[in-house]
Amino acid sequence: MKTLRQRNIRDYIMVSLLILSTVLVLTPLLIIIGYVVVNGIGAISMDFFTQELGSPARAMQGQPTGLIHTIIGTLVVDTIGVIIAIPIGVGAGIMLSEYPEHKLNPLLRVLNDTLNGMPAILKGLLAFALIVRPMGTFSGLAGGIALAFVMIPIIARATESALMTIPWSIREAGLAIGLPRWRVVLSTIVPAARIGLVTGFLIAFARAAGEAAPLMFTSFGNNYLPTHWTGMILGPVDTLPQRLYSLAISPYSEWHTMGWAAGIVLLVFVVALFAGAQLLTRKKAYNT
Amino acid sequence: MKTMKLNKLSNLAILAGIMILAAACGGNVERDARRTEREARVDILGAGATFPAPLITAMADEYRTKTNNRITVNYQSIGSGGGIRQFIEQTIMFGMSEAYLSDEVLADIERSTGGTAFNLPITLADVVPTYNIPGIGKGLVFDGQLLVDIYMGRITRWNDPKIAALNPGTDLPALPITVVHRSDGSGTTFVWTSYLTRISDEWGNRVGYGTSVNWPVGLGGNGNEGVAGAIINSPGAIGYNSLSYALLNNMAYGSVVNSSGNTIEPSYEATTQAANIELPDDTRVLFTNTPAPDGYPIAGFAWMLVYENLDRNNAINNREHAQELVEFLVWSITEGQELSETLGFARLPGAAVEKNFDMISRIRWKDEMIGQKTLEERDLI
Repeated sequence: MKTLRQRNIRDYIMVSLLILSTVLVLTPLLIIIGYVVVNGIGAISMDFFTQELGSPARAMQGQPTGLIHTIIGTLVVDTIGVIIAIPIGVGAGIMLSEYPEHKLNPLLRVLNDTLNGMPAILKGLLAFALIVRPMGTFSGLAGGIALAFVMIPIIARATESALMTIPWSIREAGLAIGLPRWRVVLSTIVPAARIGLVTGFLIAFARAAGEAAPLMFTSFGNNYLPTHWTGMILGPVDTLPQRLYSLAISPYSEWHTMGWAAGIVLLVFVVALFAGAQLLTRKKAYNT
Repeated sequence: MKTMKLNKLSNLAILAGIMILAAACGGNVERDARRTEREARVDILGAGATFPAPLITAMADEYRTKTNNRITVNYQSIGSGGGIRQFIEQTIMFGMSEAYLSDEVLADIERSTGGTAFNLPITLADVVPTYNIPGIGKGLVFDGQLLVDIYMGRITRWNDPKIAALNPGTDLPALPITVVHRSDGSGTTFVWTSYLTRISDEWGNRVGYGTSVNWPVGLGGNGNEGVAGAIINSPGAIGYNSLSYALLNNMAYGSVVNSSGNTIEPSYEATTQAANIELPDDTRVLFTNTPAPDGYPIAGFAWMLVYENLDRNNAINNREHAQELVEFLVWSITEGQELSETLGFARLPGAAVEKNFDMISRIRWKDEMIGQKTLEERDLI
């Protein structure tokens, strides 16, 4: 028989171990954030958010240079991706969760997992063949579609698990008052699971926002803002992950610092998205 | 009471709206002018070689200022191999490469577009041997045969008598040599291997030259930065980089003995000297191992790639864009060259500019000789 004291000590040790492992998990993240901020903060200035990049000569001669076009481009390309991915991903998720008896479902699940595991650069290549070559130019649209390929499987999976959490009795209630099955899904199940769905969107969005590989040969990059606003969709545009890469491999130390600064912006962007997702899930906990 | 307030507010809003509308109508002429100006704006897209990117992007900045933001030239450096690839895929308006288009590629282009493609020299590329030997700075002397022997894997230590013979007075360590080369398709590799091929028949038969080759020995690095990284991190390494890259990254680089027996320290003047030779009409020529007595022997052109029939390039939508592309080409080989020296690039020799004019004058949009017209308008021919 152990004494209370012994039990308390054992409890204390276990809690300490848990805290330690939490710290260990967080350490790499904090190191990354700290390192990026220390290296990049020097390039963050008013110019950074208001000027276009232009040539490396600008940075070397101290002329104004920045990444306004990159930040706007990222928002545009990511938004295009989300607009394309949400209907398709949610549709697939509904199919998997609400029509489990359908013959195509096992195949759909395998395909979805395959798409999820496929290297992102292949998705870029696909968008290149489907959009860039026929259009004759690189475009924000092609980049958005490549990112949609990244987001679709994540959204489909998230939708499926979100819908699965809704009790079966709600579906039965809907069917009992004579609603057709699709109406039950759209009017009762999807609204009930909306927080889970939105969380899924944000996770997919944050994941896609950090991808550089699928954008290299789709949205391609641009040193300036397009001259017409349509150029954001139909012409080559700059995106943060890809610009970060090209700044990092350039031979100019000024551009290296700008690359770190681009990292800060991207990090803030992604952290904000995840924080948003976190906030929504927490609200869900209060509601139920 | 609350609704009253709201009503008043909305009335005010309507009034403000009407006033803004009236003001806008008054400024119609001005607005139309702004709109036409906006519509006249053109984006030109090019991509390719990394080495000339600082020059061409600086030209883009300058050209944009010069045209009051009307023309934006977007150049992305994706490597010579990528530039040629995307040029053939017709996703870019012009390509850029340190390797010229091969006969097979030109034959394909002839079949698909009914015209040829031009290689327009835009600047000169110089490739220098870079190394990392502790205690030894820049200026180690190499000659062609020595570089062939090192890249064949026959000379494996830095204190080899062949190296010592060219560098009397230098205390060479018994460090093993690590050979580094590019792993990606690269114009720098093209220039480097064409030099080794011209020096040694054995190299030509066994390895040959191209944007990527089957290297007998050594490790690969991706891009100039990959090669530089491998050299900086491994004492005893030797590789090759473009001169401006080596200078920017404070890498030690060697001098090379040219075909006239002169030891040439790499410089922009020595590179321009190397190009001072008889050029063929299509400028598809290698002047590595140049006969010019003061020329640096490992140098070549960087070319802009454009189609003869611009209307057959999918990436160019209309005549206006084609016209602006031609204007930019002409500007970049004439006034644009002024930017060269300040950015550390060698200026295009006069002979190359002349050949460029000849080629540009053959550029067409459907039946219209837009190249010829542009040059005539600017009194260049």
